Amino acid sequence: MTTTQERIQLLGEACRHRITRELLGEISETELTDWVSAELGHADALDIFHPHGNLSSKAFAPSSILHIVSGNTPHAALQSLLRGLVIGSNNTIKLPSLGLPDFEKWILTLPAELSRLVNCHSELTDDILHPADVVIATGSDTTIADIHSRLLPQQRFIPHGHKVSIGIVTEDFYNAARLAAKDCSLHNQRGCLSPHAIYVQGDTLHFGEILAQEMDNYCREDPPQPLSLSEAGAIQNLRQTTQFIAANDPLTHLWQSEGNLHWTVILEPDSTLKLSCLNRCIYVKPLPAKITTASLGPESQYLSTIALHPFSTVAAESFSHLPAHRICPLGSSQQPDLFWHHDGIAPLASLIKWKDIG
Amino acid sequence: MSPSPEAPQIPQPLLRNLIRMLRTPEAIDTNFEILAIEVFKFQFTHNIPYQNYCITHGRNPENINHWHEIPRVSTDAFKVISHPLITHSPASTLRTFHTSGTTGEIRGQHHFPSLELYKQAILSSWQRLSLAQPTTLVFLTPHPEHAPHSSLSYMMGVLAEHYAEAQIIWAISEDGTLDLDKIEPLAELTSPVAILGTAITFLHLFDSISIPLPSGSFAMETGGYKGTKRQLEKAELYALFSEKLGLKPDCVINEYSMTELSSQFYTRGLNQPHTAHSWTRTRVIDPRTGTDAAAGESGHLAIYDLANLYSVSAIQTQDIAIAGEDNSFTLLGRDPTALPRGCSRSADQALG
Repeated sequence: MTTTQERIQLLGEACRHRITRELLGEISETELTDWVSAELGHADALDIFHPHGNLSSKAFAPSSILHIVSGNTPHAALQSLLRGLVIGSNNTIKLPSLGLPDFEKWILTLPAELSRLVNCHSELTDDILHPADVVIATGSDTTIADIHSRLLPQQRFIPHGHKVSIGIVTEDFYNAARLAAKDCSLHNQRGCLSPHAIYVQGDTLHFGEILAQEMDNYCREDPPQPLSLSEAGAIQNLRQTTQFIAANDPLTHLWQSEGNLHWTVILEPDSTLKLSCLNRCIYVKPLPAKITTASLGPESQYLSTIALHPFSTVAAESFSHLPAHRICPLGSSQQPDLFWHHDGIAPLASLIKWKDIG
Repeated sequence: MSPSPEAPQIPQPLLRNLIRMLRTPEAIDTNFEILAIEVFKFQFTHNIPYQNYCITHGRNPENINHWHEIPRVSTDAFKVISHPLITHSPASTLRTFHTSGTTGEIRGQHHFPSLELYKQAILSSWQRLSLAQPTTLVFLTPHPEHAPHSSLSYMMGVLAEHYAEAQIIWAISEDGTLDLDKIEPLAELTSPVAILGTAITFLHLFDSISIPLPSGSFAMETGGYKGTKRQLEKAELYALFSEKLGLKPDCVINEYSMTELSSQFYTRGLNQPHTAHSWTRTRVIDPRTGTDAAAGESGHLAIYDLANLYSVSAIQTQDIAIAGEDNSFTLLGRDPTALPRGCSRSADQALG
């Protein structure tokens, strides 16, 4: 049994590893301590009883957490495990069929006190599913529904299903395009924090041209991973269909990487949010005068993150009526802060239970 | 008298040549090459949205020398309702078929100013199967009058007319439900029965009945399961045909087509490729390179269907296949990343 502070010291060291820094950014022991304190009221809430109104209360971590992680989001898998480790639970990881190489490498770097809390499996059998006190699942709505149907009544379920993110640009197009290219390209756009569309106030055609150039620039620095037949087919289909529309509608434009499928930018005149086929395919759309769920259409109910440029708290609050749980600066949509409420859920507080005295 | 601007722009000599080709499936290849370019010229001239698309690809009748070079449109282009892929004026449309889809989903539309060529393609493709004459035909699809926008129902209607001497049973009622009362009397029959429907409707049928059909009977199934609540490997489905209807795999035919095409491709039993016709060509394209997939490798199926005279002959699908000999292809299924589509899906929605 380790104390929270002991685990934080060990995790602080693990967070200095290259893989953590690349996937989650810099995380210090102080931040980890502040994070526990912010979520649970006290940094040692899991270790001792603290006054809680007329009572004294202590937080208890679940004995075991099952993390069902998806193949497209290694950073989400790392984040989920970090949460389970900081509260001291045993963590079972159900890996995707093709594995998560960076994530698995990171687990191997953990000190013995932490690595004994982690075990990985490639199959989701009931023998793995049913002993877990808490099941955290990331995946498509179909996957989530399937897992949910297999749970026992006493198991706590934290689903992270289908989500979609967008960018909003109101001025400063050149910087905005560079930041948007990063958000749309990182992790090959395969995460739920990846923007599918950039909504632009002003000259959308001009922004589309600049974004296309920045997508190309980003590609030179960080070429995309090889595509599967299906992924390539989806891009070819999107390009062919858009070429047909653009040939007949002067308000639709297509920019694409030459001779390969590395990136695609599509300007459409209507504001309805459409899902991209991912792998660095991004829509540019006009920002409606009144941006609402009605003006964005039915996909807006799945909004996760709005990445804004230029960012200010005041500007961000003006979009807080939308269903997204996070509004962040453009360029950081794929790297959420340690303290963020994942899909609106407090990620540590949602895991623990309390014991009261008095 | 000059023709009215609303009159169908049906090119009679080209149409006659195509119908002749459809009626003589053994026509030699040079006929296809010549007619494919004639059809492209016609479509480029009269189908303005397609012409605009071809121009962006730098293609026109002057620089197309081989059917491979004809620009292909994606099936999703048929969903662009503002720019319909038609060679005739909208007012000349005699019939429009819609792709299946859920409420709110945009459906593809395929418009026809005449159904003569479509009908001939259906009959010629079917007759090449050289099937025994059934005395009873059961259709597990809505009657064409109840589903005027379903190309599958239309095809079934053409086959029903073809077998005018036989007893015809439409087993899907007007509200889209399977009427078992019309199926159960089949148990009393002693002469060959043909039963035709979507794979998903057969699955619903197999939940309720087990009727060994008389010797000489056969079934035709079509459509996949993508987007439906049920999934089954083809071998498992064909095992059910054997168990529930007494039909061995060789007595079960699979049809592959889509609303965006006018021709059908058939295969019989298990592990056999779908065969092409003299008026169709197929390619399997590796989308990673945009070129033909290597021999034995899978890719996305492209179909050149000259019976698609009134829209576009060159169609790029998102169905995964492996190219075979003589333009045949082994279908591996719908690409999992593509949006759900297909006849089976609309049947499943109706059947619940």
